Amino acid sequence: MIPKPAVSDQTMIEFKDVHKWYGDYHALRGITATIRAGEFFSLLGPSGCGKTTLLRTIAGFEGISEGVVLIDGKDVADVPANKRPTNMVFQSYAIFPHLTVAQNVGFGLRKQRLAKADLDARVAEALEMVGLKGYGARAAHALSGGQRQRVALARALILKPKVLLLDEPLSALDKKMREQMQVELIKLQRQVGITFILVTHDQEEALVMSDRIAVMFEGEIAQLSDAETLYRRPNSRRVADFIGTMNFLPAEVISETAGSIEVEAQGFGRIHVDPKQAASEAPGKSASIGFRPETLTILHEGQQATDREVGATIEEVVYYGDMTYYDVKIDGTEKPVRLSMRNVFGRPVLDIGMRTRIAWSPGALVLFR
Amino acid sequence: MKRSARGAGTEASSGLLLVSPPAIYALVLLAAPLATIILYSFFTDGYLEVIREFTFANYRETWVNPLYRTVMLRSLLVSVLVTLATVLLAFPVAYFVSFHVDPSRKSLWLFLITIPFWTSYLIRVFLWKVILGYNGVVNSGLLSLGIIDEPLTFLLYNTNSVVITLAHAYAPFAILPIFVALEKIDRSLLEAGQDLGETRFATFCRVTLPLAMPGVVASVLIVFIPTIGDYVTPQLVGGPEGRMVANLIQLQYLRLDNYPLGSAIAVSAMGIVAVISLIFLFLTRRYLKGPK
Repeated sequence: MIPKPAVSDQTMIEFKDVHKWYGDYHALRGITATIRAGEFFSLLGPSGCGKTTLLRTIAGFEGISEGVVLIDGKDVADVPANKRPTNMVFQSYAIFPHLTVAQNVGFGLRKQRLAKADLDARVAEALEMVGLKGYGARAAHALSGGQRQRVALARALILKPKVLLLDEPLSALDKKMREQMQVELIKLQRQVGITFILVTHDQEEALVMSDRIAVMFEGEIAQLSDAETLYRRPNSRRVADFIGTMNFLPAEVISETAGSIEVEAQGFGRIHVDPKQAASEAPGKSASIGFRPETLTILHEGQQATDREVGATIEEVVYYGDMTYYDVKIDGTEKPVRLSMRNVFGRPVLDIGMRTRIAWSPGALVLFR
Repeated sequence: MKRSARGAGTEASSGLLLVSPPAIYALVLLAAPLATIILYSFFTDGYLEVIREFTFANYRETWVNPLYRTVMLRSLLVSVLVTLATVLLAFPVAYFVSFHVDPSRKSLWLFLITIPFWTSYLIRVFLWKVILGYNGVVNSGLLSLGIIDEPLTFLLYNTNSVVITLAHAYAPFAILPIFVALEKIDRSLLEAGQDLGETRFATFCRVTLPLAMPGVVASVLIVFIPTIGDYVTPQLVGGPEGRMVANLIQLQYLRLDNYPLGSAIAVSAMGIVAVISLIFLFLTRRYLKGPK
């Protein structure tokens, strides 16, 4: 177990109002963000949101139309890809098929003109780091997907870059392998202390792995924060929808003071919301309150709610083994919401059509307006 | 068990039935004449007839007589030059079409590359005669521009003109295999090369070129093997010093009526080409064992 090193305040990468046009297509629309040294940073978004383009501007494969990209304090506008202190793990891994594993891993070391023994030692060290000890002599094209990925990692990390760029590196692996690699990548990042920037469309992967996440839509960063903030206090319905499951119910803002916002929410009645729990939405849209499935609890008979409770009818039951998802219609609302319950031993799974009571707390609600 | 065995048997026999027409065709029109020529090369030449008497004399003559040796070596030299020129010129064309032509235009480019095939080989060879001749396009052009005072004579009826004509004729054969090999290269490999600190040129040398080698090897063989036996081009544009081994074989057969010697020269040439090709394949073998 390697303890998590404190992320420094030092800036590694800085985007200042970065724009990218492909002809008429505006791929990056004014990206401004900083990535700290030693951070595990994720660019998360649906396909076509510009996350890969942004990653490629760091690597130097993609020029930018406007703005500035700084790597370790230096403007890299005129620095070609081969001179940048970054290395990339490609989505396809881009393992050279005509070379052996060792030749692949040592590919970037040619310029350092090492003695054969030193080169072999460095390659062996890098292979051991990614768990491929003794694979050096194998032909690259004879490797499995997971092994290729490890070779790609070793090949990049052996050059000791300041930043490691990972372009959807886990998307080609099966679920088990992906989960295993997620953990390994986190460990590896702690071990080497290099800034990792991961591009992914898998929100779970981003939440699991990252110190901070930038959620992107249509060439813009919608929200940039740590995983917990992103999950608990998404700043827009769009982000809330993209990260996990979020239920929405229509609401109306009654009054607003510095410390509290009074809201009339369908099903929940009149409540006070902390302004910190309020996400600003584009004006003109009607307000709504949102909550995660696990913030509501179905009360069993005789159980008392710690805060407040409402009545509801169960409309759908989805059994997952450890969890059960219920689609319930809260009294006074029009559409069902989803809530999840851990299947505690001895508690029966409820049936469709049953009446039930649900415990909730105003603190878990997020206001979108 | 029995059933599946019988099923396999009928499958094999229907397969044999399917391949039999071309197989018989190949046997009758390729293997049989080849066997005849090999047989002839060991017979003795008589007046207006071939005496069926076994001898090595034809081969001795082929390998010892300086005239035949000179022509054989010249043919080899011309083929090597043509192969070098064709492949070296074909590579940039294939590279350009594969890497710098918009994907939607690639088939158009390939189509354009094959346009020379629309006219007969003979006419194309003849056109080079018009271009390179004493009063040809090149000479009259240079004369009218005042660059030269009298027509250049080294253009036609020598080895140069044979190399130029053959290189042109075989260009598409060389471009296409290289193009296919380049098309198969995953473009992210080139980005990876640069990402790992190499310049574009170094990436080309360390990644693109080795991965294109199967195409280059195919091009070399496709150009080298037929050019050494080319008959029309040296006959039309080669002049006396551009004569190649095929012209010599033709001379033995049709003019001097010496079938056994002609056969021996032909079989020797075939053997030399085969040996050189095998050596070449052996030297480039490490590029040919690709993935899958």
